[in-house]
Amino acid sequence: MTPEDTTRLPVVEVDGLRIRHHGRSDWTPSGASLTVTRGEVVLLLGPSGSGKSTLTLALDGLVPHVIAADVEGRVRVAGLDTTEHSVAELSERVAMVFQDPDAQIVTRSVLDEVCFAAENRLVPVGAVLAGAEDALRRVGLWDRRDDDPDILSGGGKQRLAIAAALAASSDVLVLDEPTANLDGAGADDVYAALRDVVADGSRSVVLVEHDLDAAVELVDRVVVLDATGRTVFDGTPSAVLGGHAADLERLGVWLPTATTAALRLGRAGLAFERMPLTAADLGAALDARSDLPRLPPILENGQEPDAPAAITVRSLTVTRGRGRARRSVLRDVDLTIRAGEFVAVVGTNGAGKTTLAHAIAGLVRPPRGTVSVGGLDPARASVGAVAERIGFVFQNPEHQFVTHSVFDELAHGPRSAGDDEDGVRRRVDGLLERFGLSDARDVNPFLLSGGQKRRLSVGTALIGGADVLVLDEPTFGQDRARADELVSLLVDLHRAGTTVVVVTHDMQLVAEASSSIVVLDDGAVLAHGRTDDVLADHTLLERAGLRTPPLARALRGLRHHPEWRSLTRLQQLPGGGSA
Amino acid sequence: MNATGARRGGFLHGLNPLVKIVAPLPAMVAVIVSRDIATPLAVLALALSVLLVGARPSARTVLLLLLGLPLVVTVGALGFGVWSNPAAVDQSVLLVQVGEYRLFLGSLAAGLAAALRLAALLLLALIAGLTTDGSDFVRSTVQHLRVPYRIGYTALAAYRFVPRFRHDIELIRHAHRVRGTGGRRGPVAAVRRFTGSVVPLLAGAIRHAERVALAMDARAFGAHPTRTERHLVPLRRRDGVFTVVFWIATAAVVVAVRAAV
Repeated sequence: MTPEDTTRLPVVEVDGLRIRHHGRSDWTPSGASLTVTRGEVVLLLGPSGSGKSTLTLALDGLVPHVIAADVEGRVRVAGLDTTEHSVAELSERVAMVFQDPDAQIVTRSVLDEVCFAAENRLVPVGAVLAGAEDALRRVGLWDRRDDDPDILSGGGKQRLAIAAALAASSDVLVLDEPTANLDGAGADDVYAALRDVVADGSRSVVLVEHDLDAAVELVDRVVVLDATGRTVFDGTPSAVLGGHAADLERLGVWLPTATTAALRLGRAGLAFERMPLTAADLGAALDARSDLPRLPPILENGQEPDAPAAITVRSLTVTRGRGRARRSVLRDVDLTIRAGEFVAVVGTNGAGKTTLAHAIAGLVRPPRGTVSVGGLDPARASVGAVAERIGFVFQNPEHQFVTHSVFDELAHGPRSAGDDEDGVRRRVDGLLERFGLSDARDVNPFLLSGGQKRRLSVGTALIGGADVLVLDEPTFGQDRARADELVSLLVDLHRAGTTVVVVTHDMQLVAEASSSIVVLDDGAVLAHGRTDDVLADHTLLERAGLRTPPLARALRGLRHHPEWRSLTRLQQLPGGGSA
Repeated sequence: MNATGARRGGFLHGLNPLVKIVAPLPAMVAVIVSRDIATPLAVLALALSVLLVGARPSARTVLLLLLGLPLVVTVGALGFGVWSNPAAVDQSVLLVQVGEYRLFLGSLAAGLAAALRLAALLLLALIAGLTTDGSDFVRSTVQHLRVPYRIGYTALAAYRFVPRFRHDIELIRHAHRVRGTGGRRGPVAAVRRFTGSVVPLLAGAIRHAERVALAMDARAFGAHPTRTERHLVPLRRRDGVFTVVFWIATAAVVVAVRAAV
């Protein structure tokens, strides 16, 4: 920070902020403090439940003006106390970009969207249009101003939300997990736009983000809340993320992949003078050493190469639409998934991932003889018979609930299959125990916490005795903590012998958990191989429009230590043990 | 003709949406109170010619109108005719007798009149329906009828929910099929399927609506009694001309029909 900055008045001042939502007993955040000066980009970190989102809502007065809550402490934006000024007044100073792009677009053209806030404030037409043009040009959407926002990609919609925020406010931009609902390409798109916005220093930015690899190069300062929502660290990225990496890991706060890797190597006796924050830092630090610890032996994930086939797909072609709109969603797909595999199906949006999963589970009727699940053809078998072989888990667990209590929910499948009540009770109780839901057995499924809902939906998929589990984008739109909870559940199931097929764009999940990867591109299988081999093939990933996992990016450029160049996941590094 | 009219062809596209609702109103009343066959038929012909000339609909829509309308009218005439009260119609010609049931030519005539009335109303509504953009309609109700913009624009934002909900329902039905609840047929199973998908749909809808409302609040929606209108939907001379001409045409058609009968 230069001396000039410190003399400037802060644009955002949060001092000892405590918030309690009406009807709740605990305060989150509780004791949060931070200041943001003009042009500064501040990353707000904290474990799940520390009140990061609530804090962002307090910055523009939505808490407490719109969402009723008790507020103690002080929030001032551009000198205005947010509890004393209306949301409309504050909206000239602070603009929000939320997580779900579909839930913040309210008009039917790109231009209308960006004009919306200024129009609400009765700005004259000429000024509205000038502001809108400026904002749209900055995110590269000016040429698409007459389009319906619905036809933009996920990343495009989020860029539009950023443009609307730029046009709305002059001082502060607050982004709450802006890339959580996007695939890799969409996230890159948003960060490219954000970099341009930050470059001219006219806006201060408060960013909540779990993908630190993308964010860390943008931010000037990092503020960390602890589990209760109290500010515990505040400083430059290298001081906070580098200097307190071990503390942050204990808190349950996300770190850049390079930092996590360095912590792990530290446990193997490899000390870093300066903690690396980016892939480039890590690569340089490793290259600077003459010798590195021995790599642990590669674990084969318990997978037998000649295990019987759990799922075979032969010449599967699925078409959609009629007449001129007719097109192939899947083209001539051949695939053999062996029992005990943990398969990640990856590809860009529209590559046919979900259709493939639906065809395997019989949700889209495949042509006869093209799919076989343990000898069963989903095209001929009844839904019930398929459900006994394959458990299917949807993106939103709520969509699957059909009864009014957790117990009934689990018992629903076996009961419909006509099993006797005693046996059903025993199996359900066993599963409740296994998934940590025993205390919630009489609760309505809709009233469970997010993590519990997800576990219940996996439980209902497995109770029929299915040994194949198919999941469609199970981590989409969730925070990292809940995503990781699910991943460890899946890893446990896989270890216990379940074949897992997961459709996902979450490359971290792919890299850390899967034993093999199916890469789809435009409806065809581009590759199917061991996770390590696929992730090490950069040309392949690029062709399929996928991002290389950050660790692979850091290590593939090593000039020395050739045996480290092909590593792609943290587990392959020395120093693990517990991880 | 202005730019919007020229772009899609047809003068109806360039008119104020409100005018396209006000102009057909007298014709609608005339159709509703009529009991004969000629009046709705004449109004139908008027509305159809205005639509074909003024809206320049796509070939597909034209085909649908020209083939679909006679079909709808025929089916409607038979349906209404069979169900109409025999005591209230002309019983001079008996067409069919099955046991106690007797179908008179008069019943069919009454049925045809009812079907034509519905068809004429449908076409009159299509004058606005085929040529009006939803946002323009909302804008002009706000600008000319003093409908609070908070209601109008919220309705427009809510309109965006529709495709999302359609997608959600499809997902929910898939998900329930996997659970084995979708296999059964029959009305009881259909009702249970419906009630089963309402709860997850509503749960998702309420959450979505809350988020959208927050996003609108965060952008000062509703801060002032009015908002800037970039896009005016004015009432122009041609709107008045269209209304008056349409009213005169309606009156002429109705009077001519009365005189002829």
